[in-house]
Amino acid sequence: MKRTKPIKLSDIVLTALSILIAILFLTPIVWSLACSLKTEGMKITTAFDWFAPPYTFENYPSVIFGSSVSTWLVNSMFNAAMSVLLTIVVTSLAAYPIAKLEFKGKSWLFLFFTIGLIVPGEATIVPLFITTNQLGLLDSYAGMILPSVAVSMNLIIISAFFKGIPNEMIEAAKIDGANHWIIYSHIIIPLAKTVLVTVSIFAFMASWNNYLWPLLCAINDSMFTLPVGIPTFAGTYTVDYVRPMTANMVASIPAIILYLIFEKRIVKGVTLSGIKG
Amino acid sequence: MTKKTFHQNGGRTWFIVFWFILPFTVLYSAFTIWPVIQGVIVSFHRWGLMGKQGWVGLENYQKFLGDRFFWQAMQNTTLFVVMTVPLLVVSAFFLAVLANRPSRAKRFLRASYYLPSILSVSVVSFITIYMASPYMGFLNQLLHSLHIIPAEVEPMWLSKTALVRLTLVVTTVWWTLGFSMLLFLSALQDIPEQLYEAAKIDGAPSWRVLLSITIPILGPTFALVTFLQIIASFKVFGQIYLISGGGPGTVTRPIIQYIYTTAFTKNNLGYASAMSYALFLILIVFSLIQLRIQNKKD
Repeated sequence: MKRTKPIKLSDIVLTALSILIAILFLTPIVWSLACSLKTEGMKITTAFDWFAPPYTFENYPSVIFGSSVSTWLVNSMFNAAMSVLLTIVVTSLAAYPIAKLEFKGKSWLFLFFTIGLIVPGEATIVPLFITTNQLGLLDSYAGMILPSVAVSMNLIIISAFFKGIPNEMIEAAKIDGANHWIIYSHIIIPLAKTVLVTVSIFAFMASWNNYLWPLLCAINDSMFTLPVGIPTFAGTYTVDYVRPMTANMVASIPAIILYLIFEKRIVKGVTLSGIKG
Repeated sequence: MTKKTFHQNGGRTWFIVFWFILPFTVLYSAFTIWPVIQGVIVSFHRWGLMGKQGWVGLENYQKFLGDRFFWQAMQNTTLFVVMTVPLLVVSAFFLAVLANRPSRAKRFLRASYYLPSILSVSVVSFITIYMASPYMGFLNQLLHSLHIIPAEVEPMWLSKTALVRLTLVVTTVWWTLGFSMLLFLSALQDIPEQLYEAAKIDGAPSWRVLLSITIPILGPTFALVTFLQIIASFKVFGQIYLISGGGPGTVTRPIIQYIYTTAFTKNNLGYASAMSYALFLILIVFSLIQLRIQNKKD
């Protein structure tokens, strides 16, 4: 007769503990979601009233269309989309010769490209501001997007993946008369979709959540991104919880959805960037 | 030796390489490398938001050595690192162990512990401000409702120095723990099953297995996570700037906020650049150690 393993008390305790901590971790997020679904001026007497119905979605259209949030949302989306697109194109182009061509000075070039790994962007933010100003790019989309496009870590990750693509495929294409552009665009890129998606997700998250640089670079309210705009928005509604929390959720929902869709890739990407560096 | 991919004459190859690397090289040089050099130049000048005002040599560097606000900011940042890093490393490891146990909730646990990491610093800060504010905030209401603190006591999470520090540390740990947790989790999954089998046969209790097998094997991961966290915590800015504004007074102001204020409120970019190099030096040292650990680990 098959005997089931006795369930140990310690197992139950640990499982309960792990779920309790998970709930604790989610509480602030669920709380701000609950706030965003409340009508203004709801009476709150105990902590649990926050989560009680009735719920309403009317705060979302009123916050998005009745304030600058819509502008900031569009700016955030545009910056993130352009940043992803440029990162992928620019980085994969540079990764191709590094992974697949032999040329003089290659190791020096690669060394030069990896210096960025130890340059802390936060410590060079003042000269970056001056450089961007001298280029006339302050308060422009180009100024907000371009500094985050060429990232050493992304180059390392993408070129490492390219190196793993068998040379035989390239040799065969060469014999058929393909030039490097064709090899890059028709053979390498289609084979590297997984790594390019991973890098895209991280480029998106980095741009979507970037705070310090757009805070300096965007001067006019109309150029703000959500992270820069939200604090100014919330500052004008100190007594009201509903509108700031709705703005918070507007800024977070796209990232949360992206996370839920690409969870596996994100987990893999984090591990990759932490280990490969 | 690896097989050479293409044999071509050097000049032609370089011509091709040139076009492939051009966009990356231009952007990387202009926005990553040039600011490092530009920063040195700026730090030798009196430099305002409108541009260069005059050469001052090493004056800016001498100035911060005697600037008590600089040292206070350094001290605040160091204190933040000392309070945050051990807590983060230990709790990230602990949660990774919990999320790695065979259970049906495995995926839910991992997602819940990681989810705060994808929020932007403004969102995180405003959740904290609204939750922790006295009288109306969720936190004090919850503590009252659960009778953890008496109804007449109202902790000032956002204005009493010790409590502000605690709020900043807890917010940071909650927000950033996910990344380290995932690093631990993947390291845990790489431990071969046989190592545990042997211990099971010996009938060792699970806490002993953890102490004498898991933790020693994860030594390099602990080192890696610790250094990554030290670097990240020295660069702290957003959550402190938004939650406490560096206050009360300037007692929680981190170095980046002081640099930021000096440059953009006091219009002294030269002095701000000089101070940036102090931070730069600290971060480079830790980054080099971290890269060494990583290379060893691979």
